Amino acid sequence: MSQSRPMFWRIVRRLIAANRGRLVVILLALGAGAAVTAALLNLQIDAKKRLTTEFRVFGANVIVAPQRLGAGSSETLDESVAKQLISIGRGRHIAVLPMLYITVSAAASAGKQPVQVVVAGGARDLSPAGVSADPEGNKWSGVSENPAQPACSVGARAAAHLNNLKKGDLLTLRSGNRKGECRVGSIHSVGGPEDDQVGTTLELAQRLAALPDRVSLVQLYVPGRPSEIQGFISDLQKQIPEADVHGVRQFTEAEGKLYDRISGLLTATVAVVLVLTTLCVMAAMTNVAMERKNDVGLMKAIGGATRRVLRLFLAEAATLGLIAGLVGAAAGLALSVALGKAVFGVAAQPRLIVYPVVVALTIVVAVAGAYPLRRLAGIRPASVFRGEA
Amino acid sequence: MFLRLVADSFGRRPRHKLLTGAALALGMAVATAALSVSLDVGDRLSREFRSLGANLIVTPEADSLPVEIGGVDYRPANAGAYLPESDLPKVKTVFWHNNIIAFAPTLKVRVSSSTPQWSPASATFVRSSSGGDAELIGTWHQRAVQLSDGSSFVTGLEKTSPWFRIEEGAWFDDDAEQCIVGKKFAERNAVQIGSPLYLAKGNSDDGESLKVTGIFSSGGPEDEAVIAPLRIVQNYLKRPGEYRELYVSALTKPEDDFARRDPKTMNADELERWSCAAYVSSIAYSIKQVLPGSDVRVVRRVADGEGRILSRVQMLLWFVTLAALLAAALAVGASSAASVIERRSEIGLMKALGAGSGTIGFLLAAEQLLLAVAGGAAGYVIGILLARIVGQKIFGVTPQPSLLVLAVILGLAVAVTLAGSAIPLRRAARYEPAPILRGE
Repeated sequence: MSQSRPMFWRIVRRLIAANRGRLVVILLALGAGAAVTAALLNLQIDAKKRLTTEFRVFGANVIVAPQRLGAGSSETLDESVAKQLISIGRGRHIAVLPMLYITVSAAASAGKQPVQVVVAGGARDLSPAGVSADPEGNKWSGVSENPAQPACSVGARAAAHLNNLKKGDLLTLRSGNRKGECRVGSIHSVGGPEDDQVGTTLELAQRLAALPDRVSLVQLYVPGRPSEIQGFISDLQKQIPEADVHGVRQFTEAEGKLYDRISGLLTATVAVVLVLTTLCVMAAMTNVAMERKNDVGLMKAIGGATRRVLRLFLAEAATLGLIAGLVGAAAGLALSVALGKAVFGVAAQPRLIVYPVVVALTIVVAVAGAYPLRRLAGIRPASVFRGEA
Repeated sequence: MFLRLVADSFGRRPRHKLLTGAALALGMAVATAALSVSLDVGDRLSREFRSLGANLIVTPEADSLPVEIGGVDYRPANAGAYLPESDLPKVKTVFWHNNIIAFAPTLKVRVSSSTPQWSPASATFVRSSSGGDAELIGTWHQRAVQLSDGSSFVTGLEKTSPWFRIEEGAWFDDDAEQCIVGKKFAERNAVQIGSPLYLAKGNSDDGESLKVTGIFSSGGPEDEAVIAPLRIVQNYLKRPGEYRELYVSALTKPEDDFARRDPKTMNADELERWSCAAYVSSIAYSIKQVLPGSDVRVVRRVADGEGRILSRVQMLLWFVTLAALLAAALAVGASSAASVIERRSEIGLMKALGAGSGTIGFLLAAEQLLLAVAGGAAGYVIGILLARIVGQKIFGVTPQPSLLVLAVILGLAVAVTLAGSAIPLRRAARYEPAPILRGE
């Protein structure tokens, strides 16, 4: 046996190198299968994770409000809740936006008829993406910050009612005998109640309302799968018993449904593609393996036992599978990184676990494709040489 | 003779041909399944996105500025403007009427609620008051709107706001004196199903009585509200036939830069192209044209998110399809290349008997084409079946088999087999018959 092992591998080497055309064909089929398998598996894992971050565009999905933000009640929370939320949510990439709503009378310029308008303090930007603002930030891009005259973002409808307020105008806000001013930094139109409001800094709203360090509610964006968000909500409720924590059902419910649908769709498509690709590669391999009839006949004629001959061919197939798998899976991972970048704008992270799995799968496919050779065990060498069958 | 040679080749080596055909069929099945799913997914997902609710809001243009905090409008009851309910069927006459899947008009008023101790059977009173603690919302639950073409279109709040859930009892009937109450409202006022709710006028305690048929939850400010048929709230506010806000849920196409342009700045060509695409803004524009005095706003939070996710998922599936096509093409090409390589000795013999390279190439190509058409057709059938299973499992709807896909698949099958055979055939043309026949 010690003598026959080098011989065994020598024959395998020769089998592989004997026909360059066939070698290219096998490597191409197996390599393509491995590349697609690796790319799809990797992309599938990554896409599901990306999807939950995509839901961020819907804006806040969790609201922390005072226990009974009953209609008409003017209860507020302490601003420290926001800090508490940030520390609880550490490592979860949550976005926290404390808000204080008050009704003030606003006037575009002195002498003009004032209009009742809602001021949303804390929202630097009332567009949906505004909730992704960094938790501490109250800075406005492009507008120089002046504590006495902060910038504000005015809703399109509110602006229309305020003598067609324009960017750069000065807006005077009055509540009781308190007065504040802000410089219009932008006009926003988002198709929600925000269009009727004036967004400004939390400080200004607190000063106008004479409620220092108080907020009406805290908007949160919590990324993750619906079950994760639910878990986080009940966590928060336990740790902040004085507040009422609830999901925005319109979005959490739809997000959950959409997540299920899209990830189910991806999984199903990827599974169908993988199974069929595997079968297709296997059929191609079997076709190639069937041609080895002559080789089998010759080996049997010079005294090779059926099992040893079969082992030779399986070893050949496994070696080819290994080579094609190593190259193909690497190509597939590279492909998935590029695809992830194209689709989500963020390069997909290559998962290392995919690599060995795909290489192993390719070897299995190659060996399974060569397995019909066992039928050749019944071949009678003489009839092969006579050119029959 | 030519046909006999082809038939002979199939008859002599049925197993080989079967395997090449199987590889082809499977490869094409991958392509068909992936293509069918990708073609169909836009429509399906866009329908799923409607669980986010309305993406368009219609309000009166002449309205005063709402003073709304947390979904609650603090304006006095009769301030602001209204729109006529009788115009609503026109919404289904716009160019994109098939894309409008639901709409619901609403009329809201702040009310204060009380459950006096003396009242029999725990009756609850609500009366209009701008500083009230609850809201009375009039809307449609399931209303059949008569359209001009004689058909009717059933729509209402249940479709525009699918996240409203009846916790107990049932929805109200649009034509009955009934209402449903929010979960928090019910807790606070100890409202039970079947108990009466009075819409009190002025300071008197009499008024129209409604039967509470259900308790609902929305997870939003509506949990503090009473929802009643629109007609009843109109009568209560003495605003017959009027509404203030219309929620419209429409199927849309993801917006691109072109979609966001102001239609006023477009020339005639661009305007036509713009209004012939189901962009949310062009649907808004066409609704505004049929509802005079209205202001149609796009709910950006819903519309933008929807467009973004939809285009990403679609792009992702197209890439999956492309990758599947590529792998199928390579495997099939490899398979047909192998079937040409193995026939070296046959080619040598034919050449020795005087066949030209062209004739041999033609013969082999014809064989491959036959296989491609048969394998491609079989693959199409398998692929369509798989796409149906996927569609049924995920969306509950099977995608329609499309002839376009069949054409693409057959074309692809032919192209792939010919490309796979081309290189070995070119080499076969150079074969010298003598060494092959000698077995070298």
